[in-house]
Amino acid sequence: MSNIDTPSGSEPEQYPIEPRYHPIHKIPRKIYDFFASARLAMALLVIILVCCLTGVTIVRGEQAWNLIFNSLWFNALLVILVVNIACCFFGRIWYRKLTVISFGMILFHVSFVAILLGIVYNSLFYFRGTIRLTEGEVLLSGDPQSYDIIDKGRFFSFSRLKGETSLIRVNTGYKIGGEDKRAAYEVSVGEEDNKKQGVIYITHKLTHDGFDYFNDKEGYSLLVTLADRHGHELYGAYLPLQSIKQKDDSYLYATGHKEGSKVKASVVLFPAPPVKPLFAMQLAYQLSKVKERDGVAAFELYALDNNGMTKDGPPYATGKAAIGGKFAAGEYVLSAKEVRYWVGMMVRYEPGKTIVLTSLWVALAGMIITTTGRMLKSGKK
Amino acid sequence: MKPELMLFWTAVSLYGLSTFSYIFGMIAKQDKLFSVGLFSALAGFFPHVAVIAMRWSATGISPFISISESLTLGVFMTMLLFLVFQFSTKKVRPLGVLVMPVSFVLLGWAGTLMKEVAATLAPALQSGWIWVHIVGASAGFASVLIAAGLGLLYLLKERNSGGIYEKLPDLNVIDVMAYRFVSGGFILYSLMMISGCFWSNQVKGNYWGWDPVEVWSLVSWLTYGIYLHLRVTFGWRGKKMAWYALIALIAMIVSYWGIPFTVETFHSGFRIDHN
Repeated sequence: MSNIDTPSGSEPEQYPIEPRYHPIHKIPRKIYDFFASARLAMALLVIILVCCLTGVTIVRGEQAWNLIFNSLWFNALLVILVVNIACCFFGRIWYRKLTVISFGMILFHVSFVAILLGIVYNSLFYFRGTIRLTEGEVLLSGDPQSYDIIDKGRFFSFSRLKGETSLIRVNTGYKIGGEDKRAAYEVSVGEEDNKKQGVIYITHKLTHDGFDYFNDKEGYSLLVTLADRHGHELYGAYLPLQSIKQKDDSYLYATGHKEGSKVKASVVLFPAPPVKPLFAMQLAYQLSKVKERDGVAAFELYALDNNGMTKDGPPYATGKAAIGGKFAAGEYVLSAKEVRYWVGMMVRYEPGKTIVLTSLWVALAGMIITTTGRMLKSGKK
Repeated sequence: MKPELMLFWTAVSLYGLSTFSYIFGMIAKQDKLFSVGLFSALAGFFPHVAVIAMRWSATGISPFISISESLTLGVFMTMLLFLVFQFSTKKVRPLGVLVMPVSFVLLGWAGTLMKEVAATLAPALQSGWIWVHIVGASAGFASVLIAAGLGLLYLLKERNSGGIYEKLPDLNVIDVMAYRFVSGGFILYSLMMISGCFWSNQVKGNYWGWDPVEVWSLVSWLTYGIYLHLRVTFGWRGKKMAWYALIALIAMIVSYWGIPFTVETFHSGFRIDHN
């Protein structure tokens, strides 16, 4: 241990400063010494720094997430750092006088331990889901089938999600105090005697029974009906359309699917299974510049083979019709009757988040107290 | 030329004059040139403030969103802290020898990227947390830039003697001053990160997602966390810390302006998917 490059007048410490507490027995003592080492703390900080730099330079994006930030070894490093912090902090306060500096240090170090505990607790009970609803649609909140994406902790139970989730309406160009929030969803959640209704937009969530509802994405949905030549309606469904960015930055609103991060236009079976499909349909919607929820629907119909798969080749019928208008294709008549919005809402239950977020302020308070203490100390000198 | 641009380039020119005064003051060992540098910086600060005020009043939208505006704010905060420090202590007169060239280059760069003031603010940016976030970020940067300037003076004084170097405070005083600025910068930087977590939580429901901007801010935070750890726990002082503060400044500049505005994040005013 050495006093490295210490000018006169600085505090006479033996560096690196190591904790004083030692367990009596040999094996726990060795384990404790390892975890309470200031050298370990420094090594971990440097390794994590290098990993972060690698994750934003050499490997990036999803690759960085898979190889580094979401890997077991990287998260293990973070856990070891917190254990190291806890041991260092314990050794620092053991039989030491409480000062302004040490009090701030205690707060700072305790907050890191609390953050880890909050994260662990959260990881056991959290729920993150994406629910997709068309205006007017009601889905059971506690049914896993209601969600497009589900990610949950080991001990999360769907019985926590009570009642229904419904999307009442999407308001575009929504303004609060002159600020344009662009899209706001009017939603209702919960069960009959415990229901909550509210509007959510990008900086405003709805909270009910510990669950937070955030807006995420929205799009158009067309109500398409199928009728016979005599006008008898045989089938109808809302078809959600994807927004596909074009080279000129405009959007094509069409049936489609996501491939990785890209959205591609594609056909849908119509009617949709379990009803027997009659054809595959590519539907596109052109917005009216004059009237909201109006415009033109474009249909492309493709024949199906015996297995119900789309036959290769050009569409056997194509045509356009205004919203509410009719498009005749062979023995059937198709109509895009109305335009509604569909939305993807994030539903989150994160019981450990409060601990984590509160601990961040505690850490900051610890930093300020320690720094103030050090300044007061050097001022006295 | 629009009055706003005229004022902007006047500020850049005066910061340029200040830069050359400080550099030639160091080369010629003429401390009168430091006074020219300081007063040029003060003179440049007024049009700098006027540009921010004009852009703000044009639409009522805070002009701290684009990369150019962020650079302008960062330099504004640096100049504010630098001028307050210089006029209140008068101990470290050549401090501008690093602070002014960096401010001059960053503001000049901002000028080349300058666009019209945005007519609307992206919904994700319409949050009160943005204020805590940008004040923490810009004031944190100002602090560590001044710490790096003090580090440079430490290294120069250590190698040279007499003249202007004689008038500088003792090495350990410069060292402690740099440490204090790093400590302050670290706290402000922590404030920036915490407010960023709350802001993200407000908009997306998660406080940390390992996206490039978050990771770069963590890189800078860790860089200065290691600085403090080396000093407090390992007893590093003086020359090593001075070099460290200078090198760390590069990481800081890259993390602030090199990356956040090149990817689609809050910082580039993203909007939610429409698909």
